[in-house]
Amino acid sequence: MSLPELNTHPSRLRAANHLRTIASLAVLLAAVAILVWGFGRTGERIAVLMCVNVTAVVSLMVFCGNTGIVSFGHGAFMTVGAYLSGILTMSAGLQRSALPDLPAWLAGHELSILTAIPLVSLAGLAVAVLTGGVIARLMGASATISTLGLLIIVHSVAISAREVTRGSQTFYGVPRVTDILFVLIASIIFILIARTYRESRWGLYARAVRDDEDAATVLGISPRRARLIAWTLSGTMATVAGALYGHILGAFSPASFYLGLVFAHVVMMIVGGMASVGGAVVGVIAVTLLQNAIRNLEGGATVLGATLPEVFGLTTIALGLAILLVIWLRPQGIVGGFELGPGADASVLRNIARMTRPADAPAPASEMKLVASGMSKSFAGVKAVIDVSFEAPTGRITGLIGPNGAGKSTLVNLMTGQYTPDRGRAQIGEVDLTKLPPHEVIRQGFVARSFQNLRLFAGLTAYENVLVAALATGVTRKEAHAATMRELSAFDLGDIAGMRAENLPYGARKRLEIARALAQEPAILLLDEPAAGMNPAETDDLANRIEMIGRDRNIGILLIDHDLKFVNRLSSRIVVMNRGEKIAEGTPEEVRADAGVIEAYIGRGRTARAAEHASSTQDRPYPTEGVLA
Amino acid sequence: MDLLLQQIINALSLGGIYAMLALGLAIVFSIVRLINFAHGEIMTFGGYGIFLAMAFGFPPLAALTVGIGAALMMALAMERAAFRAMRGADVVSLLITSFAVSEILKVLFQNGISARPVPISFPASWSGTYQLAGMNIGVAPTVSILVTLTSLSLLTLVLRRTSIGMAMRAAAEDFEMLRMLGVRANRVVAVSFAVSGLLAGVAAVIWTAQRGSVDPVMGFFPVLKAFIATVLGGLGSLSGAVAGGFVVGLLEVLTQAFLPDGVSPYRDAIVLGAVIAILLVRPDGLLPAGDGSRS
Repeated sequence: MSLPELNTHPSRLRAANHLRTIASLAVLLAAVAILVWGFGRTGERIAVLMCVNVTAVVSLMVFCGNTGIVSFGHGAFMTVGAYLSGILTMSAGLQRSALPDLPAWLAGHELSILTAIPLVSLAGLAVAVLTGGVIARLMGASATISTLGLLIIVHSVAISAREVTRGSQTFYGVPRVTDILFVLIASIIFILIARTYRESRWGLYARAVRDDEDAATVLGISPRRARLIAWTLSGTMATVAGALYGHILGAFSPASFYLGLVFAHVVMMIVGGMASVGGAVVGVIAVTLLQNAIRNLEGGATVLGATLPEVFGLTTIALGLAILLVIWLRPQGIVGGFELGPGADASVLRNIARMTRPADAPAPASEMKLVASGMSKSFAGVKAVIDVSFEAPTGRITGLIGPNGAGKSTLVNLMTGQYTPDRGRAQIGEVDLTKLPPHEVIRQGFVARSFQNLRLFAGLTAYENVLVAALATGVTRKEAHAATMRELSAFDLGDIAGMRAENLPYGARKRLEIARALAQEPAILLLDEPAAGMNPAETDDLANRIEMIGRDRNIGILLIDHDLKFVNRLSSRIVVMNRGEKIAEGTPEEVRADAGVIEAYIGRGRTARAAEHASSTQDRPYPTEGVLA
Repeated sequence: MDLLLQQIINALSLGGIYAMLALGLAIVFSIVRLINFAHGEIMTFGGYGIFLAMAFGFPPLAALTVGIGAALMMALAMERAAFRAMRGADVVSLLITSFAVSEILKVLFQNGISARPVPISFPASWSGTYQLAGMNIGVAPTVSILVTLTSLSLLTLVLRRTSIGMAMRAAAEDFEMLRMLGVRANRVVAVSFAVSGLLAGVAAVIWTAQRGSVDPVMGFFPVLKAFIATVLGGLGSLSGAVAGGFVVGLLEVLTQAFLPDGVSPYRDAIVLGAVIAILLVRPDGLLPAGDGSRS
C-alpha cells in the first residue's frame, strides 16, 4: 500500500467500526423480526428472552472479551440488579405482604422501571468498583476463580438476607415486562455501548493488556486500571441486565441467577466468539434457539415414531455438548477472533478518500543523556549485572554487546523498570528512571524499548499495535492516528496495517515492534536484538532505517545485539559486557582491539592471533564467525 | 480448652479434605494448565462407587476401596475422553471444557442414579467418640486426619523419590522442556490425573463417612472451597494448595464456632471475604509458584 492509501486508513477504520456495529445490530434485528412475525406469541416470548440475554452476554463480553478473563461473577451483579429493581418498582401493598421486614429506606418507592434503572446502575457501579479493586489485581485463572468467589458471596448473602430477598423462597410481585420493543431498545443500547468501548482508548488498552501484559506496561498502560475500567463498565451493565431479566421473570429466587444462568451466558459468549460484540450477539441467538428447541424434547417427545424418555436437564447436556463442539472445532467461536463485519482494508471501503495527514517527524529531541551508574542486580545468588555504568546521549547510537548471558537484557530491564536494581541508578537529567512508574517514563517522553523475544499484541492489527502505543503517551486520538501512520510508513508496514499481528511474517513483526516503540516519540530508544533471526538483506534494510531515524530525529539509540557487524556499522560508541560486568567501552576500533573483549568472545588460546588479525585488517569489521552468531 | 481442642480437630479434618482436593487441582493445573471444574464430579462419582458397592453387599472397607477406585477411573476417563484432545489449548478453553463436562456429568448422575441424596450406612462405631485425657473426641475426624496425613506424606514421598514423581514435578515447572527431554507426555499427564482422582476418592470416602449420603452435587461445594484454596495458596503451587486448603478449613470452622447467631448465615461470605482480603495483600497467593519466563 502506498502512503496515500495508508493515509485514508483512519477514516476507513472509523467507517469499518460503524459497519461492524451495524452488522451486530442487523443480525439481532433480523432474528427478532423472524421470531416475532414468523412464530406468533411463542416467537415473541422467545424474542423477549433473547433480547435480555443479549444485554447480559454483551455486558459479560465487555469484561471477558476485552481482558481475556472469563468471569463467573456476573451472576452476582444480575442478582443485585434484579432484587434492587424489584424492590424499587414493586407496588406498596404487595411489598407489605411479601417483605414485611424490609428496611424503611427501601420500602414503598413504587418507581417506574425507567426511573429505577439509573438507581440500579449506580448500585451496580458501586459493587463493581468495590470488587474491581481485587479482581483487577489478579490475572488469568486466579481472577476467574475470584469472580466465582464473588458469585458465591453474593448468592449466600441473598439467601441469608431474608428481610430484603425472602431468602431462598420465591421473590414475587415484580412488575413484568413483556414488551418486545422495550427490551429490543435496551439491547441495542447495550450493543452500542459495548462497541464504543471496545474501539475506544480504554478498550484498546484492555485488549493490549490481554495480549501481553508486560509489553503493555512498558508502553505506559496500567494493566490494573485497564482491567478495572472494563470490570466497572461491564459490572454496571450486567446489573441493569439483571434488572431487566428480573422484570421479564416477574418472580425469582437467588438460584435463578446462580451457576445455571452463569453457565448458559458463558456458553453463549464462547459459542459466538468471546473476543467480539458480534460474537456475543450471534452466540445468544444460536444458543437461545437451541435451548428452546431442546426444551420441547425434555418432557419426553415422539420423534419418528420412537418415544424419547423424559430426561431432566437435557438442555444442560445440549449446552455442554454445544460448547465442547465449538471449542474442539472452532476455538475462536462462530464469528472468530474479529468483529462481525468488514475490516478497514475491505474492498467496500476502498472508495473512502478522506485523508489524514501523517504526523511530521517529531521535533528533533532536545539534548538529553541516559546515564546508568553503578547498576547491579542478582537473582538468587547469580550476579546478572555487576556495577555497570555507561552513558547513552541523544543524537548517538550506542552499542551494547556481549556474549550470551552477559547481562545485556537484564540491564535493559533494569533501566525500563521491569526489574528493580539492587543498587545503582538510571538517570535522565535529575530524574531516576528506576524510581518512576512506567507510564511516567513514557509521558515524559524519556525511553521506549523493543523486546528481545517478540512481544506484540497478537490479537490487534498492526495498525492498532502502533496506535495503542501512541495513545498511551496521552495524545489525542487524531494525533495518535497521525503518528501511527508516520511510523508504519517509516517501516514500510502500510500494506499490512489491517492484518493481525499474529498473522504477520517474522521480519514484519520485528519492524512493527520498533515502529510501536517509536510512536511514543522517546528521546532514547532501547532496541533489544532488533536484528535477531533476520536474514542479511533484512538486517541491512533495518540498519538503514535505524540509522536514518536516529539522524533525522536526533534521538539516542541503545542498540543491543549479538551481531557485531550490525552493531559496529551503526554505533559510534560501544559498551561491552561479559558475565555481568562492563569489560570495555570505546569507539568500535578501540573495542575491536581490546584484548579482554577478544578473550570474552573467542577464548584465551586464540587471543593473540585474533588481536593480530584485527589490527592488521583495520577496515574489516570485527570477526563474526563461530561463537559470535 | 475442651472446645478449642475439639475445634482444632474439626478444622484439621475439614482442612485436610480441602487440602487433598486442592492438591489434586493444583497437580493437574500445574502440568496441563487446566482448572478442572469437573473435579467435584470425580469426588461425587467416588461417593456413588461406595454406595453401589454397599448396595451389592460389599463389606464397608471393601466398599471404600471401590469408591477410591471409581474416582480414579473417572479421573482417567475424563482425561482420555475430554482433555487429551485439548492438550495445549489456552486456559480459557480448557476451563470452559471442564465446566461443560461438569454440567453434563451432574445431569447424568441425576438421571442415571437419583436427583435425591442416597443414604450410605456405615457401622455405628465409626461415628462414635473416644476418650483421650478426659476429653471426648470423634472417631471419624481423627481417622480422617490420619488418612489425610498418610495420603499427603505418601504423595510427597512419591513426588520426591520416584522417577515418575520427579517427572511430574519437572512437568509442573516446564512441561514443554520435559517433552523435549523425551519423557512421555501422555504418561505424565495420565499419572497426574490419576493422582488427583485418587486424592478426590480419599476425600469422597471421608466426606461420605461423615455425612452418610451421596447426591449429584456432593462434590461441588468442597471443590469450590478447594478452588479458593488453590488461589489462596498460589495457583499452580503444590505446597500452596495444601496450605490454602488448611487455611480455608480453619477459617470455616472458626467462623462456625465463634460467630454470633445473627451473623452465622453469612459464614460463607465472611470466609470468602477474608480470603479475598488476603489476596489483596498477596495477589500471587501465600506460597506462589515460580515463574521462569523472561522478556
